[in-house]
Amino acid sequence: MDLALTDEQKVRKQEFNDVCKELEKKKPPSYLGFETIYEYDECWEYNLYCAKEFAKRGWLALGWPPEYGGKGDMMDRVLFAEARGYYDIPGVDIFGVQMLAPTLLQAASEEIRREFLPPIARGEVMWCELWSEPNAGSDLASLSATAIKKGDEYIINGQKTWNTGAHKGDWGFGVFKTDPAARKHHNMTFILHDMKKPGITVRPIPYLDGHAPYCEVYFDDVHVPAKNIVGQEHEGWAVVNLLAGFERSGIDIIMTMIRGLEDLVKFCNETKRHGQPLARDPLIRNRLAQVACELEAARALAYRVADLQNRNEMSLMDASAGKIFFSELGERFAFLATDILGPYGQVKTSRWAPLDGLWERMFHDHFVTSVSMGTNEIQRNIIAWYGLGLPRIR
Amino acid sequence: MDLRFTETQEILKKMARDFLTTECPKTLVRKLEQSEEGYSPELWKKMAELGWMGLIIPEEYGGMGYTFQDLIVLLEEIGRNVLPGPFIATIASTFPILEVGTEEQKKELLPRIAQGELILTTALLEDEGVFDASGITVKATPKGDDFVINGTKLFVEMAHVANHIICVTRTKDGTAPEKGITLFIVDSTTPGISCEVIPTTAADKLCEVRFNNVTVPRKNILGKIDEGWPIVEMMLRKGAIAKCAESLGAIETCVEMTVAYSKERVQYDRPIGAFQALQHIIADMWTAMETSRYLIYETAWMESEGLPCAKEASMAKAYVNKAYKDVSKWAVRLHGAIATSADHDIPFYYRRSLAADIAFGGTDFHREIVAQKIGLV
Repeated sequence: MDLALTDEQKVRKQEFNDVCKELEKKKPPSYLGFETIYEYDECWEYNLYCAKEFAKRGWLALGWPPEYGGKGDMMDRVLFAEARGYYDIPGVDIFGVQMLAPTLLQAASEEIRREFLPPIARGEVMWCELWSEPNAGSDLASLSATAIKKGDEYIINGQKTWNTGAHKGDWGFGVFKTDPAARKHHNMTFILHDMKKPGITVRPIPYLDGHAPYCEVYFDDVHVPAKNIVGQEHEGWAVVNLLAGFERSGIDIIMTMIRGLEDLVKFCNETKRHGQPLARDPLIRNRLAQVACELEAARALAYRVADLQNRNEMSLMDASAGKIFFSELGERFAFLATDILGPYGQVKTSRWAPLDGLWERMFHDHFVTSVSMGTNEIQRNIIAWYGLGLPRIR
Repeated sequence: MDLRFTETQEILKKMARDFLTTECPKTLVRKLEQSEEGYSPELWKKMAELGWMGLIIPEEYGGMGYTFQDLIVLLEEIGRNVLPGPFIATIASTFPILEVGTEEQKKELLPRIAQGELILTTALLEDEGVFDASGITVKATPKGDDFVINGTKLFVEMAHVANHIICVTRTKDGTAPEKGITLFIVDSTTPGISCEVIPTTAADKLCEVRFNNVTVPRKNILGKIDEGWPIVEMMLRKGAIAKCAESLGAIETCVEMTVAYSKERVQYDRPIGAFQALQHIIADMWTAMETSRYLIYETAWMESEGLPCAKEASMAKAYVNKAYKDVSKWAVRLHGAIATSADHDIPFYYRRSLAADIAFGGTDFHREIVAQKIGLV
């Protein structure tokens, strides 16, 4: 067991922190977490600006092989994620940089890698994911949108939904039925397509707070070059599982919460109730301390996941456990913070809102982590079925 | 960063698991809980032969010279087997001797501890049952070259079989509670000491120890006079991490036994483990185990490296206290009625989760330390 950083890693960590700290100063006032990049134009511009800043330092290709413009290693990626998380800086496209790039490196043809990886590394092309459908959520394999091959093209028809930022994305990666007659899990293909192609209609879905970071996407005879696939034709399910296996440790989200705790502690020290600082209230002390303990536990498990990834090992169980834990910790933390803030906890960003209205936002944004990327209930199934070998009723 | 065990640690782990599986079956645990001594002198001797009591004692004092991290690996195995006895009490009492003991004290005590010839324990708590300095009222008064100790200590683990008791006393009044605390190494055969075992949930032989004009030579002061409280804090910090490791081993066993049972127990024509109502609880038990594990390993690494880790140690203790109680509770619940029987092994773990929670500071005690360390005024 050794958690020490090498001298070189310490230097890079400092660099990541310095750059993120500078970028923090340029945040638009409406920026309150990564979903806001899909909600406000100035936040999207800020996202693109941060992407360029990172790209010019090679930080969007950390851990990639050098032949695709890669730099550094997986540990750099962890340190970078910590810095971004702590200062809550966007600019690393979840879909392009974090999900698609490692999938391409592992499963795509050389031609596809050469075509799609460089624009991701340059921060030029933003991606979105098109997996879920109205009748295929947790049971993704029962999807029905089709991509039927005709000559050297696929013709896509059908509907996708809950597509984060699809209205902003330049390109999308989706799974579509390419062999409707074949059996489940062997009937779909992982396809890359231009979101600006004729026949694609994107409709934002209002989230429960009225913003619209998610979309539904309709495909009406959309033509895609047949070469734009990842993995084998009809074997897109394997690619989906591969991609899902590139679980993020969640260290960025955890660091954002750790920063949130620091700011909340400061607020409690400076804010008086009943003639004394909130921080002197034993109940508040105890509850904040509990969240602090859980945050440290979440961080320790995230390091475990990152440590495995650094050695190209995979632990679906630990990644699932980490995801369950940090997302539900996000719920508990949001409930606690809004308890402490009292009537001010419900105020949206405005002159009445303490801490810029962050906790009003967190009160509903925590679902993003518990519901997306495989619901926590699915994660529990993964631990039980694939990890512990408990029987599965079909 | 590399979170894997070292080769040495893997060997230690395997050796400990093999040894305890053979030498410490649950039949023995059950017998020892009911015995007066609460430990097996033969087993204690064998553990000493394996070098366990001297694991973290430097080689120059007859120990193995292993690290604190290595100790954590061993304690995890001990926790898996719910080994009864004075192991943690002795180890925790060794920490201050290693850190602040005089050369004479080290030479006299450490080799014999490593040999398994001495059992040590620490007398901290009193009738208020609190882990902070304000609870210390047992007095040590100077008398010539000696000190005389008077008062009653409570919940002193295995004091009835200990050869030496490290007694936390008040030597000066009228200042801040943390000032004026002095630790003494007291020979338990000194006249005036009497001891009675308190009946407890885990049958872990916590004792009431009465000191009635007990004379202790000045050279038995451990550390500096009146400046003993930081030593107690160090013991609580290291002891908390050690206890967490023991709890982690217990949590592992609870999860493993529950998974195994849910695969073999059939109701409604299928193994109960096929029901998602159980699967999701088991997944949560597993998650509690893994979060505990890496929080403990991280903290143990810091302690081993000599990095400041009072915050992390308290975080770990507060977190693992709850995790152990939750997981062992669910282990009972998912086994059903069978695990409420004294003949079943799961109750060992459930009962000990309460003892583990209290030892080296309960949840709220450690949360308050965390509250201070995260900067609440």
